[in-house]
Amino acid sequence: MWEFFIRSLDASTIFTIAALGELIGQRSGILNVGIEGVMLFGATLGFITAKTTGSYLLGFLVGIAVGGLIGLLHGFFSITLGGDQVVSGMGIWILGFGLTTYIGSPYTGPLGMERIPTILGLSPFFFVAIALTIIIWFILSKTSLGLRIRSVGESPEVAEVSGISVAKTRYLCVVGGGMLMGFAGAIFSLDYNPVWSYNFLLGRGFIALALVFFSMWNPFILLGGSILFGTLWQLSLNPQFIPGLMSRYKWRTVPFAITLGALLLMSTKWFRTKWGAATPEALGQPYVKD
Amino acid sequence: MPACRSTSVYYNHIRSLEVIDITPIEYRLFRVTDKDSQTGIQDNVLLTEECPVQKVLIQDIKRGETILEARGITKRFPGVVANDQIDFKIRVGEIHAVLGENGAGKTTLMKILFGQYQPDEGEIFIGGEEVRFKSPLDAIDLGIGMVHQHRKLIPAHSVIENIILGHPHAGTILNLKRAEKEVLEICEKYGFSLDLNAKVWQLSEGEKQLVEIIKALYRGAEILILDEPSSALTPMETEKLLTSIKAMSRGDLAIVPFITHKLPIVLRISDRVTVLRKGKVVCCIDTSEATEQSLAKEMVGREVIFRIERTKVEKGETILQVDDLSAVSDKGVVALNGVSFSISEGEIFGVAGISGNGQRELVEALAGLRKPEGGSVWLDGEDITFADSLKRWQLGIGYVPADRIAMGSIADFSLVENVTMNYYFDHEYYRRGVLDTKKIRELTNDIIAEYDVVTPNADIVAKCLSGGNLQKLILARVLSRKPRLLIVDLPTQGLDVGATEFVRNKLIDAKKEGACVLLISEDLDEVLSLSDWVAPIYEGEFMGILPGEDAKRELVGAMMAGIHLDEESA
Repeated sequence: MWEFFIRSLDASTIFTIAALGELIGQRSGILNVGIEGVMLFGATLGFITAKTTGSYLLGFLVGIAVGGLIGLLHGFFSITLGGDQVVSGMGIWILGFGLTTYIGSPYTGPLGMERIPTILGLSPFFFVAIALTIIIWFILSKTSLGLRIRSVGESPEVAEVSGISVAKTRYLCVVGGGMLMGFAGAIFSLDYNPVWSYNFLLGRGFIALALVFFSMWNPFILLGGSILFGTLWQLSLNPQFIPGLMSRYKWRTVPFAITLGALLLMSTKWFRTKWGAATPEALGQPYVKD
Repeated sequence: MPACRSTSVYYNHIRSLEVIDITPIEYRLFRVTDKDSQTGIQDNVLLTEECPVQKVLIQDIKRGETILEARGITKRFPGVVANDQIDFKIRVGEIHAVLGENGAGKTTLMKILFGQYQPDEGEIFIGGEEVRFKSPLDAIDLGIGMVHQHRKLIPAHSVIENIILGHPHAGTILNLKRAEKEVLEICEKYGFSLDLNAKVWQLSEGEKQLVEIIKALYRGAEILILDEPSSALTPMETEKLLTSIKAMSRGDLAIVPFITHKLPIVLRISDRVTVLRKGKVVCCIDTSEATEQSLAKEMVGREVIFRIERTKVEKGETILQVDDLSAVSDKGVVALNGVSFSISEGEIFGVAGISGNGQRELVEALAGLRKPEGGSVWLDGEDITFADSLKRWQLGIGYVPADRIAMGSIADFSLVENVTMNYYFDHEYYRRGVLDTKKIRELTNDIIAEYDVVTPNADIVAKCLSGGNLQKLILARVLSRKPRLLIVDLPTQGLDVGATEFVRNKLIDAKKEGACVLLISEDLDEVLSLSDWVAPIYEGEFMGILPGEDAKRELVGAMMAGIHLDEESA
């Protein structure tokens, strides 16, 4: 029981950190649907670095840096070139899927290093995830930078008139967000399941993407949601935990079904008149000046 | 003159730069002349360094003295001279109205003063010091604030978040308490009241405008430019706004020029008025010396007749018959509650009322855009209660929607294509499913010529037209179909005097030709001067239907506010 719960929280750690990265980008108006691709890059290159150098630290740093670079690439397409963010994001996913399979295949197999020590049986990154949640909530809602980020995501024109550089703010967010996604990928391949095999994430990046919509762009709901989704994911890996209820494949669809339900609820008139629009108004729209 | 010739460096301490050599742009050489020396060539100044600009403090300048002066401002756009040698002065503590028709260059001038455009020629002085704005930020730093016609606020954020956005003292960690306190001081000073923690989407249009005004003041604005401030407001909100403007001009800091084309507002509130026509200043006088007639004459360039003679046309057959019509609004509430009326050939039926009392539902139910909940509509004896919109066009209903940008036209379509929108279904204009573009183009050119639509040609996109010209085009394409029933919703909203007069005359022409007209308007004078029948509407019901001669202003005003005709006469 305890074991199952720990595993669930460990799974939710990866969802939380990756989804926080996506959340920052989306609050600034940039949608990155290629989150799975960014995580694959971070996980694979972090894994290779750690395996060849024997240093966890270097592995994580490389994972984070690679994530930031991919974020920068996405930023270049969607901010500087003003292209379609969904197209760019899908490109990043397909690229990540193909390229990491190619780069990583010689390293297939276990990492073969001493495991990262646990705290009360939990991965230390779980606590990092909680700290990150609080920090990002604080930045977004209590600081001037956060106000700028939210403004750019709601209405870039207004932000511009108020003297804020839309491009700079958005770049900051996609690069920072990419770093978090890369970090999440590295946590997966170095700590959660330190074995490399092709396409090992199995759609965890897409769960994180769904989580952002589910969270209504609120870091705390995101944290709660990721614990819920982590548990459901764990159930899909161990369907025998609640025997006879559902197969693993059905369990795996539950997070998406919940997200669909939440999105449906958010798009109702009742919700909008009561809570206002939760979605960043300019999400996914390129800001190109004439 | 200037109070502040302080030690700090203005970037105009380099008073002039003489061009010695022009080679590719990186190699431009300038001879810098000191401020006290002779002035050199002013054009083509290339400022290579960011120079700090310091704000002129208005406290240092006495009330009534010039704070901002523009000299010889010229701005050309391809094909037009938007501003032609404009001289313009604003004094401390005055409300200065800038009046002009659409396209007279008001907005261009204000955008230049706010740094959104750079003038091709001319100088701007603040407190006697020459300034150059590279962007609105420079203007803001020098104490100029602008409230745009279209709101520049973030609906999902709270009032205070909108106000402090981009403010240099916002702090790394937002100090909302301090900001709130400072903003409340401003509110108190000018007598504004506003819930700072409300979300902007929850506010009314007037409150949103107030947020923008406060934002500008909090940013340190001493010269506040209001662009068409009353255009989106209800009459009551306009009153509130005018009170606020008065309050600000009494204060020692705020100076409020504002641009509008609403003559009564100008006369009521401003101290001085500058009239622009075709990019030039035609006069600048104290408002006390002006009358509605004289200003209109300056604005349009000829006498304008405000009183339109009500032309009696021989009453013909009944065209439109509406019985007990009801409809619900988008929110699902009953917005139109059983109205009955009929209009005959040669009549204008005016519905007077404040927006949101069911006019929109009435119009849409008649145009076939909204399914009625009950009642019936007859056109020339045919039941069209549930006919679709296209069918109604074919039967001879012409509809000019209130929102000419969103509903009346497609912004990125050319004028020809926009005219096609009312003709594509006409057998005369297509053959075997293919549009006869030549014929439509001819028609468009005829329309442009007959209605005096100012445009380079028929192929430019609709969004390039000014409001008045776009409205002319829309009205023209509807009228050219010779409709039996013409529905016009707020036909002169946001139009200048000249265009308004034009549109009203066209309505009268339509009536003379035997059409019947349903006129929806918030402008009481418009309804009263044009209509043969006046029906004040209140909460989805007609408060009575008066013959045009009996519709007295006070009576109609009271009925619009919800007093039923019977109660009034009793």
